[in-house]
This record gives sequence, structure tokens and C-alpha cells, in this order.
Amino acid sequence: MRWIRKLHKWASVIVGIQFVLWLASGLYFNLMDHTKAAGLTYLSQQMVSHQLDVSKLIEPKTVLQLHNDSVSLDTVFLLGKPYYLLSHQQGLYAHSYHQYTLVDAYSGDAVTFDKKLVTRLAQASYTGEGKVIQLSLLTPPISDFPKQQNSTWQVNFADDINTQVYVEAQSGRIVGHSDDHKKLADFFFMLHFMDYFNEGSFNNVPMMLMAFFSLWLTLTGCYWCIDLLRKGKYRRKRRAR
Amino acid sequence: MHKTARKLHQWLMLFLGLQFAIWSVTGAYMVYMDIDFIHGDNLVTNPQTKVQPAQMHYSLQQLTRAYPNIDNISVDTLLGETVYRLTLADGESSTKLVISANSGEVLTPLSESAAISVARYFYTGKGEVTEVALITDNPPFELSPRHLPAWRVNFDDFGAPSLYVSAQTGILVGKRHEFWRWFDWMFRFHIMDYSSGEDIDNALLFWVALLASFGTLTGMVLVYFRVFKVQFTGRKKSRLRRGGVV
Repeated sequence: MRWIRKLHKWASVIVGIQFVLWLASGLYFNLMDHTKAAGLTYLSQQMVSHQLDVSKLIEPKTVLQLHNDSVSLDTVFLLGKPYYLLSHQQGLYAHSYHQYTLVDAYSGDAVTFDKKLVTRLAQASYTGEGKVIQLSLLTPPISDFPKQQNSTWQVNFADDINTQVYVEAQSGRIVGHSDDHKKLADFFFMLHFMDYFNEGSFNNVPMMLMAFFSLWLTLTGCYWCIDLLRKGKYRRKRRAR
Repeated sequence: MHKTARKLHQWLMLFLGLQFAIWSVTGAYMVYMDIDFIHGDNLVTNPQTKVQPAQMHYSLQQLTRAYPNIDNISVDTLLGETVYRLTLADGESSTKLVISANSGEVLTPLSESAAISVARYFYTGKGEVTEVALITDNPPFELSPRHLPAWRVNFDDFGAPSLYVSAQTGILVGKRHEFWRWFDWMFRFHIMDYSSGEDIDNALLFWVALLASFGTLTGMVLVYFRVFKVQFTGRKKSRLRRGGVV
């Protein structure tokens, strides 16, 4: 029992503060508004209606032959208009590294994403009242979306929660919105996952070390509890009251 | 203060100790298991099979004549063959279709043998196929209902992997193994959700976590008295004092 107590004491010295942070952030996740935490406050949920005029479409074969080899050609809609999205290199997930070419599906012209188009795409995904105040092209790692491995435009809006819209540079895909609410939630995720280097993952070394000591802390604690129960310590104290 | 903290800590942990053990065991599992491995990324290849425009003998014009109600069209490959994928609008609902870009032949819904071929095409393991089943309703919790109908192809391998292939599109829509299934259970226990596995905002978690915070704070008070204060007041004195409390 002496060793159990010693282990419990020293494990608690090591993980004590992190335990408080885990519980505080856990309580925050329990109570937070999930819509706000996910950056959905001003994200348009409306499906833009689009009509595909098949007779005006360019022959896919022609487009595929004109560009680098593609894994796929998909018809996507930006601002209600159809485009062919050619994936030259395809990742397992949308955030994985990709190489795209975007082509106007009616004219066959390759699309270049200038600031004007990016602004319009960002505005189309945004339901707030704010005006666009700044655009910048970011290369990964992107702190608000640490998993995103593709170059992405950040479009800042002047509104009450400082919304930032992220538009993928090669495809025009809306990666997501970030704002003060999401950043606060991300701060608590950082605390809970001990992701102090913003890797976007909880498989990190500090976390593994703390998990190891926590196991010792809780298991010795449980053992201690059982020992006290067996010795009748809990009962005696209740009677004394 | 020391005595009160000790008493509170003992009594709170009598009731919360088990949940603390569950938190640390489930947390440790999630932390130690690489999340990409849990997602089954190692189960499948990402072959980058290229579309062959030279093989596309069936033109868009022929397609639109055969299917006037095309809502969406894409081109990629199915088992190496260049194919068109169509979404056809029928009023409110829509159907999906895969058509050979070479001949115009309709390749879906996927047969059992084609589903096995697709699963094998992506699978990185060496195990044999042990079981194949077409799931049309009541999907297992590891498959989203939006992917139905889908073929489930089980492999005889480490972790009992299952690959799910959409019967409508031939696309790989799921990759699961035991480690994912355990992770899912671990997460439910971690957030104390004993129903659906998605509701972190349940009242049970709130009250237990609140009491647990209090239990931890009383523990921190004990750390202060037994470790930090001991350092200041000298070991001999504290040992005498501790004799009474431990």
C-alpha cells in the first residue's frame, strides 16, 4: 500500500494541473453551442439551385485531352454555374493534398482564381452583414484548419465575430468559416488535446506522457479506494459524523 | 483545510473513481492509437488511376440522347476502366448510374463479384474475402445510411477489416476494422454517452464532470499540503504531522 500511495502522490504532482484543464475544457465542450463552435454562425446552409444545360456542356473527352492526365473529372457548381474540376492528383480526403484544374464546363476556358472571384465565392457562402476587408493567399499549415494541405485563400469580413472564410485556391471549394466563437472552441480543444504545437491531432508526445501518468494516478486511486473500503474506513467515518 | 480536503477527496472519489479510471483508460487508447490508422487509411491504396480519354468512344451526345434528365455528370475509373457517372433527376428523387465510357454499357447496380473486385482493387492486405453481404437497410453503426445500398466485404486479416462498396456507384464508401470499432466505444465511454455516441452535451457528463472538477481541486489541495508545504517546513516536522493524517 505504501507504494500505491507514493505513486498516487507523485502522479498527481505531474498531472494535477492538466487534470484541471481536461475537466474544465471537457465541461466547456459539454456546454458549448456546437453550431457556433464549428464556425457555422454565418455559413450559408442554403443549397444554391443550379440548372445544368447538358446541351451546352463541352465534351469531357476534349477537356481531358487538353490538360494533364486526370484521375477524375467532376461537374461542380460555383455561383450557380457549372465547371469541370479535373483532379490530377487525388487525396483520400478533401483536406489531403490535391492537384486540380478548374474549367468552365460551357466554354472550356480554364479558370484562374483572382481576388474578385475568390471574394464572390466567399460572399456567396456568407450570410452575415460584414464587408470584405482583406484577402490573403495562405499555404499550409493553416492555423484555423490544421489538416488542410492545399493552398487556401483567407477572406476576412468586418463583422461582430471577425468571420474569416477559407476558399481552396485550386478548386474554389469552401473549406470552412472561422470566427471568434470557433477560435475560442479551438483554444479549449488545444488544452484538452494538449495540442500546443497546433498539429490538429491528439496523437502527440506530451499527451502520451500525460496519459501514461494519468493511468497510474487513477488506477492507484481506485486501488486505494478499494483498500479503504475493505478496511472499513468509509463506514467508520460516516458513523462518526 | 487539509483534513476537509482529504475527507472530501476520499468521498468524492469513492463515487467518481470508476469514471476517472474510464476516462484515463479510454483517453489513453485514443491518444496512443494513431488516428489515421483508426480511420483505416492503411487498409486502402490511393492508386491515382488515370482516366484514358482515348478510350472514351461513347460521346456526351450519345449519353444525353439516352438519358435526357442528367443532373450531374463526372468521369473517372472503375476497376481501371474509364466510366461516366451520372446523376439522373426524376422529379424529387434522383438515381445514380455508372456507364462505360468505351461502350456505353451500364455497369451498375454492382454485382457481388464486381463488389469483391472493387474491394480487392483497393485493399492493401493479403487476407482472403470471408463474407460478402448486400446491405439495403438498417446499416451497422459503422456505415452511414446515406451510402446505402452498399456491399460489405469482410477480409480474413488482423483487425477483421470490412470494406464497404456502394452498390449504386461502385465507390469505396467505408473502411473499418476492430480498432475503429473499439475507438468508437471508447469515445462513447469517454463522453459518458450511453445511447448514440454523438451527444457530448448530456446531463450525466455535466454533473459528473462538475463533481470531478471539485474532486480534482481537493486533490490539488492535498498535493499542496503533502508535497509543496512539506518542502518548505522541512521533512522531519511534516513527517510528525503526517503521522496523524495518513
